[in-house]
Amino acid sequence: MSCDDPHHCITCGDDGVPMCVLAVDEARGLALCEAADGAHGSVEIALVAPPVAPGDVLLVHAGTALTRLDGAPA
Amino acid sequence: MRFVDEFRDATLGRVLAGEILAAVEPGRHLKIMEVCGGHTHSIYKYGVDDLLPANVELVHGPGCPVCVIPMGRVDDGIAIAREPGVILTCFGDMMRVPGSDGTLLEAKADGADVRMVYSPLDALRIAKAHPDREVVFFAIGFETTAPSTALTLKRAKAEGVANFSCFCNHVTIVPPLRALLDSPDLRLDGFIGPGHVSTVVGARPFEFIPADYGKPVVVSGFEPVDILQSVLMILRQLQDGRCQVENQYGRVVPYEGNLRALEVMAEVFALRPHFEWRGLGFISHSGLRLSDAYADLDAERRFAVPGVRVADPKACQCGEVLKGVIKPYECKVFGSACTPERPIGTCMVSSEGACAAYYNYGRFAREREVV
Repeated sequence: MSCDDPHHCITCGDDGVPMCVLAVDEARGLALCEAADGAHGSVEIALVAPPVAPGDVLLVHAGTALTRLDGAPA
Repeated sequence: MRFVDEFRDATLGRVLAGEILAAVEPGRHLKIMEVCGGHTHSIYKYGVDDLLPANVELVHGPGCPVCVIPMGRVDDGIAIAREPGVILTCFGDMMRVPGSDGTLLEAKADGADVRMVYSPLDALRIAKAHPDREVVFFAIGFETTAPSTALTLKRAKAEGVANFSCFCNHVTIVPPLRALLDSPDLRLDGFIGPGHVSTVVGARPFEFIPADYGKPVVVSGFEPVDILQSVLMILRQLQDGRCQVENQYGRVVPYEGNLRALEVMAEVFALRPHFEWRGLGFISHSGLRLSDAYADLDAERRFAVPGVRVADPKACQCGEVLKGVIKPYECKVFGSACTPERPIGTCMVSSEGACAAYYNYGRFAREREVV
């Protein structure tokens, strides 16, 4: 994912990206997450109700998880 | 991927399109504004508008933060970037937004140290790696991005990163919506509410729209099935004579928002008395500055910024596009003097700007027969 990509940019507009948690560093408030395209990144998890665990799917915007996707129906 | 694939289901989309056709009142032209640039992008990426009857018109709103930043603030950012010893960090699209004397990208070519980051946390990492330099983060965005900036500023303060500061251009979504609704040249029948802003602020702040202006609002997800379902929910409200805030995006948006995010924003930010929006002018209480507790991390206090208001180029009609008064292809310079490669106006810069969405997906004009 890149800001040079004309089709998608995480940094502008109101665009969140679902990412899967791979590992959690509770002391630093960060999680290593993977997006659907395989991209990895460190994500702030302070705004999501604990505990955040590997396997959780988070909605991530600009490096910060805004919520946990829990599968509730639309 | 879970939470994505099922909301791009073509069969379900066709069923919803059929229900929309059945729900729309023949002969009545309806204008529905999608507030958010992310929705605009999805609508043209997936051709959602082609599934709608011709008398259901989607009007594109001001919800792309890159698009609404005025030229004067870009100039201020460039002035900070040109200060000796400064590393200015910003999101990618911001680098191509024209100020009165070029873009941040051009300032970089002239020797300023401007670096693209994907998150404020990346900017903080750069500050820690270069303790001998002043690192400034050019913060833009609505309530979706603001918590991320707030958390990074809290982290910078806690870790004592003294060479980090923030040039704050965060804005809030409700005041421009009220300004649009008060605008005499715009008639709207309903709103597709911003999904991820609502993840933070909740759906409650939009209750003034049905209460004060009598228009339905449906907070929507970003996949094509989400948007079609939201249009149908608005039509059903109009059909039933109802008028309320509904939440189509329940899998992500709690009605009350994210209280942790609201708390951290309240701690780190304070409302500005007014803030300038491109095309919309000055809007009261629509912009955020750093609170007094974080004043030492405020780049506007650390550096001298010109703070000059700059008028938009005369040829550019971004203002009318942002208010939904004209379609992008009706602008005099759309696709000729103004293209994504050489944008004149902000709406052509960001992939989520209405002009860029039209240009990238070949919507140079549109004529359809009314149902």
